[in-house]
Amino acid sequence: MKQHRTLCVMVAIILLILPLYAQGRVERQEPLVVYAYDAFTGDWGPGPDLVAEYEARYDTRIKLVGSGDAVSMMNRLIAEGKSSPADVVVGITDDMAGRILDSGLLTPYRSPQLAEIPTFLHFDESDRLLPFDYGNYAFIVDSEKLDRSLWPTSLADLTDSRYRNKIILIDPRTSSVGLGLLLWTVEEFGAEGWLAWWEAVKANVLTITDGWSSAYGLFTEGEAPLVISFTTSPVYHVLNEQSTRYQTLIFPSGHQATIEGVGILASSTRQEEARRFVDFLLSDAQEKIAIANSMYPANASTTLPAAFDWAPKPSRSISTDRTRLEKNLERWLTEWTEVMSR
Amino acid sequence: MDRGNESMRSSAERERSGFYQRLALPALVVITLFFLVPLLITLSSAFIKTGGGLSVERIVAVFTDAYTLRVMRFTLIQAALSTLASLVVALPGAYLLSTYSFRSKRLILALSAVPFVIPSILVVLGFVIFFGNNGFLNTALMKLFSLSDPPIRILYSYKAIILAHTFYNFPIIMNLVATYAMHLDRRLEAVSYTLGASKTKTFFSVTLPRLLPAIISASSLVFLFCFSSFAIILVLGGGPRYTTMEVEIYRQARMMGNTGAAAALSLFSIAVTSLLLVAYNRSQQRLAKSEAYRDPLSLEKRPAGLPGRILAALYTIIALLFVLAPIISVIVRSVYSSRTFTLRWYRQLLNLERATSHMGSALTALVNSLLIAFAVSLLAVALGTALAASIERRRRSRGALELLGMLSMTVSSVIIGLGYFLIASRLTGGASLSYTLVVLAHLVIALPFALRVMLPEYRKIPLSYAHSARTLGSTPARAFFSVELPLLRSAMVSAAIFAFAISMGEFNATLTLASSTIVTLPIVMYRLIGSYHYQGACALGTILIAVSAVVFIATGRAKGTHHA
Repeated sequence: MKQHRTLCVMVAIILLILPLYAQGRVERQEPLVVYAYDAFTGDWGPGPDLVAEYEARYDTRIKLVGSGDAVSMMNRLIAEGKSSPADVVVGITDDMAGRILDSGLLTPYRSPQLAEIPTFLHFDESDRLLPFDYGNYAFIVDSEKLDRSLWPTSLADLTDSRYRNKIILIDPRTSSVGLGLLLWTVEEFGAEGWLAWWEAVKANVLTITDGWSSAYGLFTEGEAPLVISFTTSPVYHVLNEQSTRYQTLIFPSGHQATIEGVGILASSTRQEEARRFVDFLLSDAQEKIAIANSMYPANASTTLPAAFDWAPKPSRSISTDRTRLEKNLERWLTEWTEVMSR
Repeated sequence: MDRGNESMRSSAERERSGFYQRLALPALVVITLFFLVPLLITLSSAFIKTGGGLSVERIVAVFTDAYTLRVMRFTLIQAALSTLASLVVALPGAYLLSTYSFRSKRLILALSAVPFVIPSILVVLGFVIFFGNNGFLNTALMKLFSLSDPPIRILYSYKAIILAHTFYNFPIIMNLVATYAMHLDRRLEAVSYTLGASKTKTFFSVTLPRLLPAIISASSLVFLFCFSSFAIILVLGGGPRYTTMEVEIYRQARMMGNTGAAAALSLFSIAVTSLLLVAYNRSQQRLAKSEAYRDPLSLEKRPAGLPGRILAALYTIIALLFVLAPIISVIVRSVYSSRTFTLRWYRQLLNLERATSHMGSALTALVNSLLIAFAVSLLAVALGTALAASIERRRRSRGALELLGMLSMTVSSVIIGLGYFLIASRLTGGASLSYTLVVLAHLVIALPFALRVMLPEYRKIPLSYAHSARTLGSTPARAFFSVELPLLRSAMVSAAIFAFAISMGEFNATLTLASSTIVTLPIVMYRLIGSYHYQGACALGTILIAVSAVVFIATGRAKGTHHA
């Protein structure tokens, strides 16, 4: 009997302790919960620094939750619905905004900072997603691994057999950067020709990762000399490593653009704090975001360091019409999967 | 008088069997509520249309979709190739083990416990650290032959997947086949020699045919493991081309928000694994009927001659290197950064230094994992012991009850996780709910292993002990708790350690079910690997290795408990 009692007591203690442990943390600190994609919260991202600065300035706490790539993050948010612990979501891009806007999970906020942001960046007229930075997709080259004479000058060049196993791509089903390249090829080669490009590039692809972090990590580990990323990516290496080893390939025919937005969850019980954080992102945080996120700042009054000379703006910026996108996206993804799994 | 005695005995019997029947209840409740219900929810979501209402549309779509079929084909082919590669590595070892007696024999046999104690996320990490372009092997080769490019490029390809699966599974085949072969009657070979057949001829026409049932049985088990492989494919594979069913289920559910499609894929996956399980069961039955277990008589093993001894030594060295090198690399990399010794990653882990990236959540993850594993091991041992007693001491439906206890082993942990994810997304609750779900999922996964440890141990306790206690006037409950349980103490400790380790290393279900706010050791390791913070991952990996080592030693002590 004694043993029985000990066992029961132990089990009871465990059952009591576990929720207490978990709940205790939630109740004591109650930070503002901010969802962001991994690249925002990670080493290369602006998240950790900004949070520290904000917490010190406003004597408050922020819980930054990295939840995979932006598409994964949005899907997670939609799956969690109204019960999501998130108060603010950072990093929903214009090309994938349709689903989260339709879900009704976000609430409008007309930030005073919007006045400083050029109108071509206001992709959501309902003000539920506010633009905080933007960029253009581009291939980045490792100049130490690929001779300058061999650098491609167009998307079509990339299908050449001399790039065999030299390109790292990202899955458009799970990543906004992956989706960006898919849309870029649709815009460049048209509804008839884009799949042929993917079919042709397949032999040159080392691997297709699920997210940008893995792809860019592979690239900087030296596994392949070409990776899909942003025109601004080299800035990080210039600023932090004093290295111009990684350079942007500007293609004359233009680059697909992406605008990143921040939104407040309608289900959040802390709207005031959430708004203050959004205002912070759109104003004082802009330079840090631009630098660490390697994007162009949305706020026009931001001053940038000279390293941004290594982030050439393309002569032509391409956007996909949102209605066209929403009508065709599912079919494009199915066709892409079909071709790439063959 | 006689009659009175009889009625007394039968009422005592009833009371006794009533007690033992009730002992199964807690485990049955857990299995029903936390395994069967989530599974049913998953499978039934496959029949729900996007707008609501029932339909088989989605099932038909999934079973006929060209992409899904391609994923299924890849899953089957990689499993077949992995099994084949494991056989090629394992059979020479099995041959050496069963033919000769040599000194390093116990060392090789100990290897066979490795797949059961090493979590898959650790295998992945070890592989990247050892075989990667900047890994130990390539660095050594580049220095040795002064090359400018890494000569071995296996990561992110078919080869990496097969190699990792071989590493993980060859010890299983080696152990099962060797154990079987050791019990074979060697007189038949002797007869064959006397009749003038050569060694080679004897091996192929006498030994091999008799070994075939064991080889088939072990192979189908390994095939099943490789079919449901998840972490290895997730990290070492990549893109739509190198995707297995389990990875696709996870991707659909958690990255694309398409739970209906994930459910339909789960149905497909379960259908195929069920067929495989039936095949495995058949081969098991055939094995049980075969001669090795009928006739334990066998000739003495020859002490190895010089060539035998050299072969055995060679095989031992290669097998040990193959298995241990990736694991040791993880430990080394966790304290060496560009050839200087550093404890930086452990300081970050303990929050003594400001952490970068996902290392910030490492300490929370470690504490979470320890707490979860502690709860899981206590619950699994309590439920497993009670269930084992109930199975052993009942007359009817023993087989059915045992099968029920083992049932969660037959479903891949990704699919178990998916069921929990579907439930969690309909509930509102904070972190405490999420942690409870993780504990329950781990419990469901660990319970069969605890039961597997407890059953044979309980079987060893003579019925007469409980009878004597009863004669001396104790109730059935008292007889169980104060006579039988103390005898089971060491078995309960091994079962607890086993369940603890399973929970500590559990990755598949946790990743599939957990909300982003939950972190456990393997999840943080995965995020660190994904963002190329290998050293931090190695520091966490070293902790997992330490846990595995404890289990390894504990299982070595508790002999006769094989957990295949």
